[in-house]
Amino acid sequence: MVSRIFSSCVIGIDAYEVTAEVDIGSGLPGFNIVGLPDVAIKESRDRIKAAIRNSGFSFPAKKIIVNLAPADIKKEGASFDLPIALAILSTEDVIDSSLLQEYVFLGELSLDGKVKPVNGVLPIAMALKDMGKKYLIVPKENSKEAAVVRAIGAYPVDNLKEVVDFLNKKLSIKPEDLDIEVAFKRNSRYKIDFSDVKGQEHVKRGLEVAAAGCHNILLIGPPGSGKSMLAKRLTTILSEMTLEEGLETSQIHSVAGILPANKFLVGTRPFRSPHHTISDAALLGGGTNPVPGEISLAHNGVLFMDELPEFRRNVLEVLRLPMEDGSITVARVANTVTYPAKFMLVGAMNPCPCGHFTDPKRECHCSPIKIQNYLSKISGPLLDRIDIHLEVPRLKYEHLTDKRRGEPSEEIRRRVDKAREVQKSRYKKDGIIFNAHLESKELERYCSLDKEAQELLKLAILELGISARAYDKILKVSRTIADLDGKEIIETHHISEAISYRSLDRNLWG
Amino acid sequence: MGRERKMTGAAGEIIASSFLKKLGYRILRSNFRTPFGEIDIVAKHKGVIVFVEVRSRTTSSFGPPYLSVTRIKQTHIIKNALSYMNRHRIINACWRIDIVSVKMDRDRKLESIELIENAVEDDHI
Repeated sequence: MVSRIFSSCVIGIDAYEVTAEVDIGSGLPGFNIVGLPDVAIKESRDRIKAAIRNSGFSFPAKKIIVNLAPADIKKEGASFDLPIALAILSTEDVIDSSLLQEYVFLGELSLDGKVKPVNGVLPIAMALKDMGKKYLIVPKENSKEAAVVRAIGAYPVDNLKEVVDFLNKKLSIKPEDLDIEVAFKRNSRYKIDFSDVKGQEHVKRGLEVAAAGCHNILLIGPPGSGKSMLAKRLTTILSEMTLEEGLETSQIHSVAGILPANKFLVGTRPFRSPHHTISDAALLGGGTNPVPGEISLAHNGVLFMDELPEFRRNVLEVLRLPMEDGSITVARVANTVTYPAKFMLVGAMNPCPCGHFTDPKRECHCSPIKIQNYLSKISGPLLDRIDIHLEVPRLKYEHLTDKRRGEPSEEIRRRVDKAREVQKSRYKKDGIIFNAHLESKELERYCSLDKEAQELLKLAILELGISARAYDKILKVSRTIADLDGKEIIETHHISEAISYRSLDRNLWG
Repeated sequence: MGRERKMTGAAGEIIASSFLKKLGYRILRSNFRTPFGEIDIVAKHKGVIVFVEVRSRTTSSFGPPYLSVTRIKQTHIIKNALSYMNRHRIINACWRIDIVSVKMDRDRKLESIELIENAVEDDHI
């Protein structure tokens, strides 16, 4: 006798239908799972046996074969525990199987029959319609996450017995009801604000420019100058996340299993700051069964790399491609998957190994060659993708004791939003949204300078030894500054501000 | 095998048989010999053919009796069972392997008896 239960698995961030088929036959009792299961699934045999017994049902002493179809997709994780257990029970006529095929089941079982939360519920819920299903039975911890998708009914369950009673219509469970707009609004508040930061006005301005044009940015300053604090607050001045963006990011976080239980929908732009010992697989995503990496977790948000030169060289190099494409394809023997990875890169570094080179008060002990080595750890191609270099000076005493609060994020964000609108309407036909993504030939078309500005730029190139590469960057950044200013033609002060954001080009040190 | 141990085994099997009968097992054969060894008891219980391995001990120095069924012994029991069914032309039947664990004192008086149903499973471990 064969019974069938529907479940689903996630590869990359796409969900696929999986059928758990159970055959019970004669022969020596045994319990085998086939269909490319991983270790966690093979171990599920013992969990399922114990869970069924401890839920008050008897585990059939027969030859049981479980097949997870389609057989060619590698399945992983413990989310098939519940469907397999139910399939076994339904062959024993414990369950009324008339409506069984309408549902998709997900859940890990603990030995006492409790249903435990699993990863990747959101992408599965979103793909449910394509599978031709309408109802999802999920662990209660995941039910809100599933209910984000309006077209489906998500039933929260606590234990195996409850599921059986529900299917036998002895127990009624209400599908999770969620007002997604309200929930999203509630989640889209930041706990931090730019007004927390004292002084550093020009850094804040630099971050505003970066946020407006989506420019990648590098903060350079001595230890303790507040680089991380400032970077963290960058997310609060980026334009608010749209629901669509929130869903994209939530999907990735759901697969990675880092969605907090009470916050099933990401409403604030993610801020990820991996430690500099990170491996390239952890940054990009990888593993035998690929999982998303930090750059994908930072999708639609900010990737902050503190102590940028301390990152391993190959880690920095592999960043280049996803920065260009806005996605990363992880190819492994088992699978090839693509994760979205649109993020703003914020790097932070000291000006030299000891950190005090640009500090007027403290002496730097580093030899020129040491400083040169330190700076050269960031390769040219990576620097190429960073439009703004900002010096973050040590805080002055007056600023530290200043009681006045800085400008709140909301006001800055309003200006950023306006500048972003300008760019959006300008580049409607070009398939880009932000100034940062302008190509050389588009630069010519969109960045018209007035006469004085042209003179200044010429002077800068001659006097400061600015390269052709830096020239493009200056144009792009000054375009953003002009957009913030509401001007179509780029003027002198726009250019001069943009030049001030190229400190690494000005050969100040090193 | 020493005389003493043989005696212990035989006594255990007699005790086990009567114990199983009380539980509703119908004994089909005792000490059925196959090319792979011997099946202590073949019985029928609720329509399922049960091959029973009896383990008897007079001392608990080596742990409870059922612990002496090693992995190799388990495969032997399975082969014995298949051989029995082959000989009797039994196909497509439900069958299982139980262990009866008999503990006796030095004078072979019963101390405790325990039935482990479905003790050997085929899990491709």
